[in-house]
Amino acid sequence: MITEVNTPQYDALDKKGPMLVEFYSKTCGPCKMLGFVLKDVDKSNPDFRIYQVEFNENKELKDRCGVKGFPTLLFMKDGEEVSRLEGLKQKPVILKEIEKIKT
Amino acid sequence: MESNKYDIVIVGAGPSGLTASVYAVRANMKTLLLDKLAPGGQIINTNEIANYLGVGTINGAQLAIQMFEQSQAAGAEFDYKTVTAIEDHGDTKVVVCEEDGARIECNAVIVATGTRPRRLGVPGEDNFAGSGISWCAICDGAQYEGKDVVVIGGGNSAVEESIYLAGIVNKLTVVTMFDLTADPLACDKLRAMPNVTVYPYQDILEFLGEDRLEGVRFKSTNEDATERTVTCDGVFEYIGLQPMAGFCESLGILDRGFIKTDPQMRTSMPGVFACGDIIVKQLRQVATACGDGAVAAHNAAAYVESLRK
Repeated sequence: MITEVNTPQYDALDKKGPMLVEFYSKTCGPCKMLGFVLKDVDKSNPDFRIYQVEFNENKELKDRCGVKGFPTLLFMKDGEEVSRLEGLKQKPVILKEIEKIKT
Repeated sequence: MESNKYDIVIVGAGPSGLTASVYAVRANMKTLLLDKLAPGGQIINTNEIANYLGVGTINGAQLAIQMFEQSQAAGAEFDYKTVTAIEDHGDTKVVVCEEDGARIECNAVIVATGTRPRRLGVPGEDNFAGSGISWCAICDGAQYEGKDVVVIGGGNSAVEESIYLAGIVNKLTVVTMFDLTADPLACDKLRAMPNVTVYPYQDILEFLGEDRLEGVRFKSTNEDATERTVTCDGVFEYIGLQPMAGFCESLGILDRGFIKTDPQMRTSMPGVFACGDIIVKQLRQVATACGDGAVAAHNAAAYVESLRK
């Protein structure tokens, strides 16, 4: 399930378990295409939580997460970052990271 | 993805490959379109495309998505695969994929893998690639707000992205091997920006810094061979494109890394076609890529039909 969140909504999330947070920009082409790939990831993992955060509208949150550019993917488990990927990535690479945090 | 044989496999889902997929499906070919990342190719890094007619001025990624949706609606299959080789078995070709060792059989292959940004290959580049050195101003420019940045290159991409970056950063230094060679209006606009300095006719020597990028050292190609070091927080490289057809090397169809085709987009190997930025050609644009894709698919379909007779 893919959900767009802002900073207050992100802070209020129940972060227990695995989830993926994508920082993106509305003006960024690779972000648009990564969103496209994530929709495909979501189709094969409908119960896995994917959150999208707009980079420029949530600057304090992106600083807090140490995110410098977009798109950036944070793979998280129980509220802790396990790994991150920067830039447009292949679907199999994303799936591999998801499998790691699911176990 | 079905496992049986395809009529045509298209490698690369940029504008050329996507166009080829629509023409192939409409010619009743069982068609599979492969890309290692996502549809779109180079255009996803372009903020505005204003010279592809019929869609006005459009964001590159948006155009890619619209093209992909049209390809899907036509009936082309799509999958995420990195192709490592094409094997020639006469009337049958085998497309070998990296991820799961998949071997996809078909009668004809259309190579539409395009190009990627060229790298300088100087000391320090690998250390800071993706963390100080970037190839996408739209993606990574925001982190350099109020900071000092160097752009390397003087062609259209370098100048257009420099104009964009100069509006964000404190000081922008453009270092180029020759003079600025972009559209004259764009060059004039860049030169007139108060925070921009241009150093033409320079060779980049190295990127400086230990834990983080701190500067760029370069040398004049004029007789004086003056060396300069510019301190900076980030670098953006726009020094051209390199072809992505290494996996075709064993087929003997390459010409300095690009694929040589005839006007029907046929390569020297029967059953292997190519189109778009990967072929030897004069003008690499969305419009020409789409035209190439249509021609390649038309002739690939004719080739497949000829095998059935």
